[in-house]
Amino acid sequence: MLRVLLAKDLRRARRNPLPWLINLIVPLALTALIGLVFGGHSDSGALGRIRFAVVDEDKTPLSDFLRGAASQREGAKYLEPVFMEREDAFREINANEISAVLIIPTNFMSNYLTAREAVSLELIKNPAESIHPAVLEELLGAAVTALNAVSRNFNSEFPAWQAVVEGKEDYHKVSILIERAGDKFKTARKYLNPPLVSYEKEAPSVKPPGAAAKNGASKADSDNGLFAFLLIGMSAMFLLFIAGNAMTDLFRELRQRTFERYQTLRGSLAPFLAGKFVFTVVMLLLCSGIMLGGGGLIFRIHWQQPLALVTLIAGYACFTAALFALLVALVPDERRAAVFYNLTGMGLGLVGGCAFPAQQLPTFLREHVTPLMPSYWFVNAARNLQDGGTDTGWGWVAFKLTALSVVLIALAAILFRRKFQTGSRA
Amino acid sequence: MTLFLILEGTVPNTYPQSFLVKSPCLTTMAGMSLLRVERLSKTFGAIRAVDSVSFEVRPGEIYGLLGPNGAGKTTTISMICGLLKPDAGEVWVAGAGFWSDPQKAKRIMGVVPQELAIYEELSGRENLEFWGRMAGLTPRDARSRAAELLEALTLTDRAKDAVNTYSGGMKRRINLGCALLHRPQLLLLDEPTVGIDPQARLNILEFIRNLRASGTAILYTTHYLEEAETLCQRIGIIDHGRVLAEGTLSELQERLGGDRVFVLEADFKNTSPDAWDGFHKRFRVIQKSERQLVVAAIGARDPSECLKDLLDLPVHAENVTLKRPSLNDVFLQLTGRELRE
Repeated sequence: MLRVLLAKDLRRARRNPLPWLINLIVPLALTALIGLVFGGHSDSGALGRIRFAVVDEDKTPLSDFLRGAASQREGAKYLEPVFMEREDAFREINANEISAVLIIPTNFMSNYLTAREAVSLELIKNPAESIHPAVLEELLGAAVTALNAVSRNFNSEFPAWQAVVEGKEDYHKVSILIERAGDKFKTARKYLNPPLVSYEKEAPSVKPPGAAAKNGASKADSDNGLFAFLLIGMSAMFLLFIAGNAMTDLFRELRQRTFERYQTLRGSLAPFLAGKFVFTVVMLLLCSGIMLGGGGLIFRIHWQQPLALVTLIAGYACFTAALFALLVALVPDERRAAVFYNLTGMGLGLVGGCAFPAQQLPTFLREHVTPLMPSYWFVNAARNLQDGGTDTGWGWVAFKLTALSVVLIALAAILFRRKFQTGSRA
Repeated sequence: MTLFLILEGTVPNTYPQSFLVKSPCLTTMAGMSLLRVERLSKTFGAIRAVDSVSFEVRPGEIYGLLGPNGAGKTTTISMICGLLKPDAGEVWVAGAGFWSDPQKAKRIMGVVPQELAIYEELSGRENLEFWGRMAGLTPRDARSRAAELLEALTLTDRAKDAVNTYSGGMKRRINLGCALLHRPQLLLLDEPTVGIDPQARLNILEFIRNLRASGTAILYTTHYLEEAETLCQRIGIIDHGRVLAEGTLSELQERLGGDRVFVLEADFKNTSPDAWDGFHKRFRVIQKSERQLVVAAIGARDPSECLKDLLDLPVHAENVTLKRPSLNDVFLQLTGRELRE
């Protein structure tokens, strides 16, 4: 019976593939869009190193300092400066080989130290990219702010420092300059320590909100954490929308009275609902395969525990299909249901921490509502899996989602039966 | 004044009334009805959609439930086939209560809903095979039965085409065929000819007559007088959820006082039959309007005598017509309004 019902729906989908193609194309297009926004590909799977050209037309110790800062230690992890001449840099940017060109103009250092005129650094962004050039612009803004701060505090000593840089001062004067600089820093100590603005590295953001991390794995350890984190959340949210779309076929069955005709032949509604449920789950698995599989290929994400992830996705697909079957039974009006579905999808996605980390949610939601959301169970467990956690509890989550789907589909069947018999749908 | 004497009205019934009692098949089962409905009632909020409806359908009989839209026909069928649970009353299918074993009852009956309950993306053959499987046929039986039905419904040449490319009449035929896969003994047809052209309607009616000839009991709801008159052996007239009258066409006509009614056209604005001496002893008023009075003679009287009486009335008669009473006249007499209104 289930096979016949499933075959019927697959045939119908084949004859009228547009709604299903849209369902399949949307996540694919979204993944591709994100890929394009972030530069198309990345060897590390994360944001990737930003390759940019530095054209040093000043060739002074200060410009050397700027060049060096970009390519050392933490900077080297994210930035890949390439030093070249202006013409070569323009050729590279036209060939879309680099994200931007940073030009340090002639007399940059002397103008800065003598404060004779305003100094400027020139940044030419690659119009074919959006994120990398924007990141560089922000970084350059921070560098300029730092240079301004130094200029304001050490302006009176710049001539002496210029002499040092040019090798005209003796070492005694250099030591005095350093001592004076130390005194100034001592005065500013209370502002600098602790710093007014600080940052710290986030622990893996997929831990239960407000709870301590259960494992030692850190998000930073994962090379592809950002995209994996985003993709899991995005998939969870889109699966909700896709399940909503797929289950609206029940409305068509109601509208065309085929659901009623089925009831004139069979005693139990369960096989009909089960057929629709299985069909929706199959489509959801296909879509999630495209989203996570395709996204994984684009962003070179290595899924840590594929089997566990697939089990989790299957549980989540069952839950979303059953949830929307229940909503069809609850909301009698097809047009009103579409709005209701979108709100439900958005609500579960946002409160469940799919769209952005659950830690960013208001305290009440984070502590009392989010942990109750099945969407949160899924994204949390899936992200934990990806972060290499040893105690992710994915099996329990998959079981909970599946058990919940059984309850929801049974409720939907009862509601449908009651509505039919009282004539609400007749 | 013009006097017309016309014997007009009903189309002669295709099947003579004697058919029912002479058929050997029917005489053996004459005592047993395949469908019996007893005091069926259903209320939706403040609206009493079906009010204590009772009737029965025998094997090889087409029972017509005739009534205007909103009379309660579809609700009655929905309760008979188990889509709706009645508030009161019983449905008996082949001698057993429907709700005692709904699945058994469903195997006996086939339901053709008023709406086209078919998958328009699928072909005619695929629809038939699918509903055959739902009715419990094996894949092989469903295939062969679908082929038989496509042949019988003259749709074989379009069997592989998607239903959404069919004409309205063809869709109606597939809709009908989908209820016949499991060879039901009882067929519930809810206005199966709504919205199709006369030729397609004739095809469907002919197909239904053939089904009846093969012994299938048929409950046929319609608001088309002609269909009820020409197709059904017995007719129940339903309005506002109540069966107002029931019987064969001639039995229903008999209610009006025989096989003829008189239509008198005159100015009745300022006069009333109540004021005419002895009128109500000789005639039964079926309908009265400002311009028209429809009456039936009481007792077995000669038509010419009746005409004479009518012409002697104290009104200036412009036209008098004698006709065979139709179901519309019966409906008119029962409800005070025409079925076509």
